[in-house]
Amino acid sequence: MKTKFKKTIAAAATAACLGGFTGQAQAVNWLKMQGTEPPGSSARARVWGFIQPEYQSTSGTKLTAGPGNGTVPIFNRSRPDLKSKSSFNLIRARVGVRGTGFPLDSNVNYFFLAEYGNNGITRQGGGSVKLTDASVTLNHIKGMRVRIGQFKTPGSEEGLQAIHVFDYINFTNGANQLLLERFFDGDGSDDSAGGYVNTPNGPVSAFRDIGIQLFDWFYTDGWEHTYAVMVGNGNGISRGDNDSNRELYVYWASELLFPGTSPFPGAAHLAPPVWSAEQHGPRGARYQTWKLYAWYQDGKRTLTQENPGEYDRTRYGVGTTLRKGKIRAAAEYIVADGMIFSGTDGGAVPGLPKGPGLTDFNVTTNGEANAWYVDFGYLVTPKLELDIRYDVLNRNTQSASAERKFQTLTLGMQYFFNKKSRLLLNYEIRDAEAPNLPASATPNRILDAMDNRLSAQLLIIF
Amino acid sequence: MRSKPLRLAALAAAFFLAPGAGTAWAAKGDDSFAEQKIVLQISDPNPFKQTLVLNVANNILRHYGPDRVAIEIVAFGPGLRLLFAENNNKNRIKSLVDNGVRFSACKNTIRNMGKKLGAPPKLNPNAVPVAAGVVRIVDLMDKGYKLIKP
Repeated sequence: MKTKFKKTIAAAATAACLGGFTGQAQAVNWLKMQGTEPPGSSARARVWGFIQPEYQSTSGTKLTAGPGNGTVPIFNRSRPDLKSKSSFNLIRARVGVRGTGFPLDSNVNYFFLAEYGNNGITRQGGGSVKLTDASVTLNHIKGMRVRIGQFKTPGSEEGLQAIHVFDYINFTNGANQLLLERFFDGDGSDDSAGGYVNTPNGPVSAFRDIGIQLFDWFYTDGWEHTYAVMVGNGNGISRGDNDSNRELYVYWASELLFPGTSPFPGAAHLAPPVWSAEQHGPRGARYQTWKLYAWYQDGKRTLTQENPGEYDRTRYGVGTTLRKGKIRAAAEYIVADGMIFSGTDGGAVPGLPKGPGLTDFNVTTNGEANAWYVDFGYLVTPKLELDIRYDVLNRNTQSASAERKFQTLTLGMQYFFNKKSRLLLNYEIRDAEAPNLPASATPNRILDAMDNRLSAQLLIIF
Repeated sequence: MRSKPLRLAALAAAFFLAPGAGTAWAAKGDDSFAEQKIVLQISDPNPFKQTLVLNVANNILRHYGPDRVAIEIVAFGPGLRLLFAENNNKNRIKSLVDNGVRFSACKNTIRNMGKKLGAPPKLNPNAVPVAAGVVRIVDLMDKGYKLIKP
């Protein structure tokens, strides 16, 4: 399994090099783009949104071990319904309004966005529409803008960036399991007959929280520096706090601004020419920059069912992005301590018989993990971009027997119909293993069932 | 050896023919040497119109050359936001001013916005207040300017 995966990666890397594959990544000040409006030139209410229909497919290989033996494991089923090995889905359909309520005063901005698609935000917690963002930014104090409400937290580039300019269809293993938080009332340890079945108690975090953020940016010699400090509930979206603990977020980014305009048509509608850093810097999603960033997040989670109590949850990371000419690149390293999402029992879908109880989700409250990825993209023609990403997640490294390693090599293509429409194709070569257990051990037999995944997505921004 | 009057005439000719000489004149409001005279109106609340009017001015400059065209952008009503000191386009405005483009701000609008804001808005230092934006346009048209509303 491991050898086969390495050979596949080597072959893909060789093909990429021979094909002139160089690279790609996001590079932009997301805090500015998402939290503020251009002074003196913003609309009272600018309606916008995007639609992302998609198709995902695996071979549907069944488990040969564990409680779900003979069934298709959760990792071979299409999100978010987890009922089929392949499916069409309207994964996102969002409509929003943003602007300056009183256009003569640029000091007060707002941002509003709602989700109508079928995903982890809308599937859980009832209702078919969820509010993802609703915030007000006050720009009165020089050097300390204030954003209040529900919005993306300052953190990992993969979570902080606007999803409609994301260069892939699926997140990396690290972002998906360590940062895209699922909220539970238990840890999944109760295996008794009639015991608690641990499932998410509401929407995924969507990389967002409700709270207050202080932030701003400034310039030195062609660099744009951005800071943010946020205090939130640590409970994601669409719910209040369930304890008295606050979540702390700290973020810093330094971004070298390259002069000129972006050749990338995908989000060029957001990108007027760069005139100078003093003109509030670039606002487009695909400007040519080189960014270095670091982030830290710390808080507690409260379980009320199995093993009730308060548990520490810490995440931090460093990363870089580059966009220059036809090339983009990105890399990030993430460390996680506490409240590690550990999937389902035996990789089975929740609710199957498991000894006396039922299969359900698990959270390792004292777990540790780390993850990293490298990502490259190359704009072959003004309409076609080729992408390649390799990501690794080492989950539950605190225990040799519980440790799991996930590796995915994603080959991607983006075809830009115009500035606001594109087609994405991804093929993910996926592998997972229990590195400290023999190949014949049940966990490795379960993870052997993991299929590669083919995905296609259409994106329309309006 | 050339005579003194000839040398003075050559110097004067060099001054007027030198690149940027017309720009300097235009910047001071002297449009007598301009072959084309254009007044651009911005009075729309749509922020895209701000970008558009600046793009149009830039394109006119590029086509005719700064020393052969006189351009004045007159802002009034909601369009006055283009000339707010904080406006995101202030560096573009500065660049156009350096190439001879003039910017006029309607005093009536300034006064009315001041009532809503509690104080008159801070204007771009390159904006020249005029009694009324519409009247300024009419006056310029009487002087041979062509009106364009992007």
